[in-house]
Order: sequence, then C-alpha cells, then structure tokens
Amino acid sequence: MTLELFAVFLGSSIRLATPLLLAGIGEMVSERAGVLNMSIEGMMLMSAFAAAVGAWGTGDPLIGLLIGIVSVVPVALLQACLSNTLRANQIVSGIGINILVLGATTLAYREIFGARSRAEIPGLAKVKPPLLGDIPTFGPAVFEQVWLLYAGVALIIITALTLRYTSIGLAIHAAGAEPKAADKSGLSVTRIRYGCVVFAGFMASLAGAFLSIGDIHTFTEGMTRGAGYLAIASVIFGKWRIGGTTIACLLFGTATALQFQLPALGVVLPNALLIMLPYLLALLAVSGLVGRQFAPATLGEPYRR
Amino acid sequence: MTAVNQERSFAAALRYVLRPALLVPVLAVAFAALVGLVLIAMIGVSVPKAVAAFIDGTFGSPFALAASLNRSSVFALVGFGFVLANRANLTNVGGEGQIAVGGIAATAVALYGHVSGFPLGLAFILPMLAAVIAGALWGGLAAVLKVNSGTNEVISTLLLSFIGVWLLYWSVQSPALLRKPMTSSATLPESLEIPDATQLPLLTGDYSFPVHIGLPLTLLLAIVVGVILSRTILGFRLRAVGLNPAAAKRAGVSYARTVIFALSTAGALGGLAGALMLLGEQYTLKDGFSSGYGFDGLVAGLLARGSILGVIAASLLFGFMRSGGINMEMVAAVPTALVVVIQGLIVITLAGANLFIEKWERR
Repeated sequence: MTLELFAVFLGSSIRLATPLLLAGIGEMVSERAGVLNMSIEGMMLMSAFAAAVGAWGTGDPLIGLLIGIVSVVPVALLQACLSNTLRANQIVSGIGINILVLGATTLAYREIFGARSRAEIPGLAKVKPPLLGDIPTFGPAVFEQVWLLYAGVALIIITALTLRYTSIGLAIHAAGAEPKAADKSGLSVTRIRYGCVVFAGFMASLAGAFLSIGDIHTFTEGMTRGAGYLAIASVIFGKWRIGGTTIACLLFGTATALQFQLPALGVVLPNALLIMLPYLLALLAVSGLVGRQFAPATLGEPYRR
Repeated sequence: MTAVNQERSFAAALRYVLRPALLVPVLAVAFAALVGLVLIAMIGVSVPKAVAAFIDGTFGSPFALAASLNRSSVFALVGFGFVLANRANLTNVGGEGQIAVGGIAATAVALYGHVSGFPLGLAFILPMLAAVIAGALWGGLAAVLKVNSGTNEVISTLLLSFIGVWLLYWSVQSPALLRKPMTSSATLPESLEIPDATQLPLLTGDYSFPVHIGLPLTLLLAIVVGVILSRTILGFRLRAVGLNPAAAKRAGVSYARTVIFALSTAGALGGLAGALMLLGEQYTLKDGFSSGYGFDGLVAGLLARGSILGVIAASLLFGFMRSGGINMEMVAAVPTALVVVIQGLIVITLAGANLFIEKWERR
C-alpha cells in the first residue's frame, strides 16, 4: 500500500466511523442511565431524511442540519415516554419506532422526491484544520473533513468530561446503577432518563445528518442499513465507556472502509463478505470479550417508584 | 337454565371478549388503520379507490387470497418461534436472517442435492429439513453466545440477521455458490429455478388458487407449539427459566439447555418459513429474498402477547395487509411503505398500552 492510499484509507475509516461514533456515544449515555435505546436506528434515519429534505428544499445544508436535529425531538420524546412513563418493553418500543420511521421516511421520500430520486443535495462544508491540514499527503486525505466531524469530536470530549467530573455525570450513573438510591437522594430518575434519551436522540440526529448531508449528499430509502445497531454493539463492546466505544466505532468504520479500499488495492474478495464484515466484527466483539458485569445494573428496566 | 343465568353468562362472555388483552390490540389496529387512511388522503389519492384496491388485493381473486394465506403462514411460523423463545424471556429478533439461511439451504438441496427423483415427497421434504437445520443452527448460535458469554440475544440475533441477509446476497452473486451459470453478462444474479418435484404441492392442484401445503403444515405446527408450551415439561422449563433463571437452576432445570432449545427451535421455525417461501412460491433464490418477512413475523409474535391463536390472527392480518398494500401501490399509486407505517404504529401503540393492560388484569 502506498502512503497516499494509506492516507485515503485512514481518512475514509474515520469518516465512516463518525456516524457510528456520534450515535454510539449518545446510546452509551442513555444506557448508563438505564434506558436501552433500540430506536437509535430510527432516529438516525429520521434525521438523515429530514436533513436531506431541509438542505434540498432551502439550498442551505446548515438549515438542513437544524431541521434534522429538530425532527428527532418528537421521536426521542416518544421513546422516552414509552420507556419511562408508560414503562413499555424497551426493545419492543424501540423496534416499533424503527419500523415506523422506516415506513414514514420511505413514504415521504417517494412523495417528495418521486422521479427526482437520488438528486444531489447540498452538503456540509469541509474544513482544513490549521497545522494538521498542512501535513503533506495526510493533511488533505485524513484531516480535511466535514466540520460536523470536528464538532462531533468536541461534543464527545465534553460528554466524557461531563460524565466523569460533574454531578450530572454522577446522577446519570446513579439513575442506571441504583435508581432507588438516586430517587431517595432527591434526584428524579424519570427526568434524568428522559434527558438522556433526548441527548441520545440529539447525537443520533447528528449521526443521521452526517450520513445524508455530510458524507454522501443524498438520501436513499433505509440508508442507515443497521448503523444504529452497530452503534449499540459498539457500546457493549466498549463496556459502556467512552474510550472503548470510540475504539469499537473506529474498528467498525475501518471494516466498512475496507469495502472500498481492498478492491483499489487489487485484493479480490467477495463484495458481500466485505459488506458483512462490520456486522461480523460486531458479533465477534459482543460475543467474545465482554461479560455482563459491565452493564449498568438496571439497563432495560423501567423504573417505578 | 333460567333467563337470569343466561344473562349472566352472556355478560361474562362479553367481558371475556372485551377484556383489554383482546380489546387493546383491536383498537391499536383500528387506530393505525385510521392513520393510514388519513395518510392516503394526505398524499392526494382517492380514499375509496385506495381502499377498493386494497380489498381487491386481499380477497379480490382466488390468486390474491392464496398469496395472502401463503404469506400469513410464513409470518405465523416466525411468530410461533418468537412466542416460544419469549416464554423463556428471550427475544428472537433474528427471523430475517433465519429465513435467509433457510432459503439458502433449501435452494442448495433442491438444486444440487439430487433429490428430484426421491419418492414419498422426500424431494421437497429434504430441502425443507435442510432449511430447518440451517435455521436452527443460526438461532442456536445466538443461544450458545448467550450461554457462554452472556451476549444479549437481541443484539446477536439482529447482527446475525444482517449477516444472513448478506450471506444470501453472496450466494446468489457468486457462480461458485448458487448463482445460475452465467451465459451472458445479462445473466441475473439469482439461482436456477428449482425442479418441479422439489416445489411444494398445491392443496387444490390448481394454479389459479396456489395455496401450498405450507398452510396445513403451519396449522399443525401451531398445535404442536401450543401443546409444547402448555402441556409438556419442555414448556414448563421454558417458563421456569423465563420467570426466574436462578430458581429454575435450583429446581434442576438446565439454563443452558433450555436457552439453546428455545432459540434453536425459534430459528428452525424461521428456517422453515424460508423454505416455504422458496419451495412454495418464489422457486428461485434472489437478492432481497427475505423481504422483511422476518420482521413482520416478529411483530405478529409481539402482538400476540404469548398466545398461539394471537399469532395466527396477527399473521393473517399482516399477510392480507401486505397483499392489499402491494395492490394499492400497483393500482392506486400508494407506496407500500404505508403498510410499514401502519405496522410501526401498531407495535408502538401496543407497547405503550401494555401498562394499562397489566393494570387491568391485576385488578
């Protein structure tokens, strides 16, 4: 592999890992608080669609991004209400939301775009960071990325610091590990969990918008193709920690990038195997290395006072 | 019997029919259907025309009726598997992948197993068995992962679904696997058509009403699964593990064996569903073979709240809804995605109403 090709490979791995990473960190926060948010997939798809429509309709990708974020708020509130207030089975409600969003976005896409399908959509701008961007070969190939990627990295660092050093982080941890104790100490478990699900929705909306208006500048039906589930797998593999989740997402991103890179290198492998690779890795990741002891104690269980 | 007694038993029957566990799903379906009608009006299609197309696609012709029934069998098999595993508190979300591997195995045996000449229906029974085994292994894999390393079966069966679907794509893309011999560059990425002898016999033998033997087989399995769940030690073990694994272990019920039994049986039923689709209807294996049926079956299982009769009812509903939806798209230009919206709404409404149902039942 030449240096140029390696740089391109590295750059596309990071780019492909970004939506997983954004969604994965949001999911991690939600799971830390005790809510298994299976609707990440649907949230991403919703935002991917809304952002694409917004950017296409207004011609401004920034407005598209905002519309994408706003579009996920009702989805996240629905998930939060189902899994907290109505104490619904979190897996069932999540899958229901995913089905609903898949149907709704496909329907709306056909109605709005119809014959104009696969229309090019204005996308978010790329930035070239100072210093890093000036490195020969690697600068343009690795570091010149859509600004949302850098904003996402900043958000993840803020999330990590918040979880570790603030009372909010402690409250989230308590809501997932010892909700009764948290409740007794005067925290509202329900409010914390609502907040965390909405935060997961916000992160998933960035992830979805990144897919449609950040990366490929178009929307296709069901374009998330299980990325939300990969994000959930990365949280398990990452043992509910920021660092671990990040590594898992980078791994899955790299596996996805191989799809495009190996053929360029003249390595002939069945296309299907390459497409399957991230899911295969995710399965290995969640099956081999983890034990139950790392999961938040009340993950998936609605809290009742 | 006095008139008063009769009145009482009538009131009791009414209360039974109107109990929330039955009433809520009906209301959920009605609500979702209503939203569907509003959506049809919103996209500017004449509602009567769309409804007419929908009904035409479900009962309008013997062919439509048969297609709906065949599809319902597939959903029901996946749904039975879901209910069975769910008895042990396991959630099998892998129907889609189990259908895919079942389809692959059935195609492989039907095309290259030299089974065409076998007597006594073995020509189609052997491909079916292959599909059952493939599905059982696919589901069993998730069980082994759960038992050995505590992997949540929801995530493993989901990931296995994606892998199964891509495996199918791979096997119809590669001439070394199941793709038909490439005679020109225009050769489609699909398998050869399976021989006549391996296709499932039709109940009436009449191609204008092509219900195949999958339907009676499904009904038979409904009884088998129902009996296993309610009358056998196996069903008791499933329930024991589902309610309290620690207590079950104390009572001498093997957790590992029960989980493996539950998920591999669910997988076997999913694999069989794939075999019915291939041997009974499609005859060639193509990309997109599983067509979301695994998720429809899953939803049917969810809706049923543990009841086999409930699975049958929900499967019929979805089987007919799919047929109606397809016809609505062809005749009235309403995207079939509408049916997906309705399904999602049903699942969400029911998930949300569960608290209400449980409160009512505990009164």
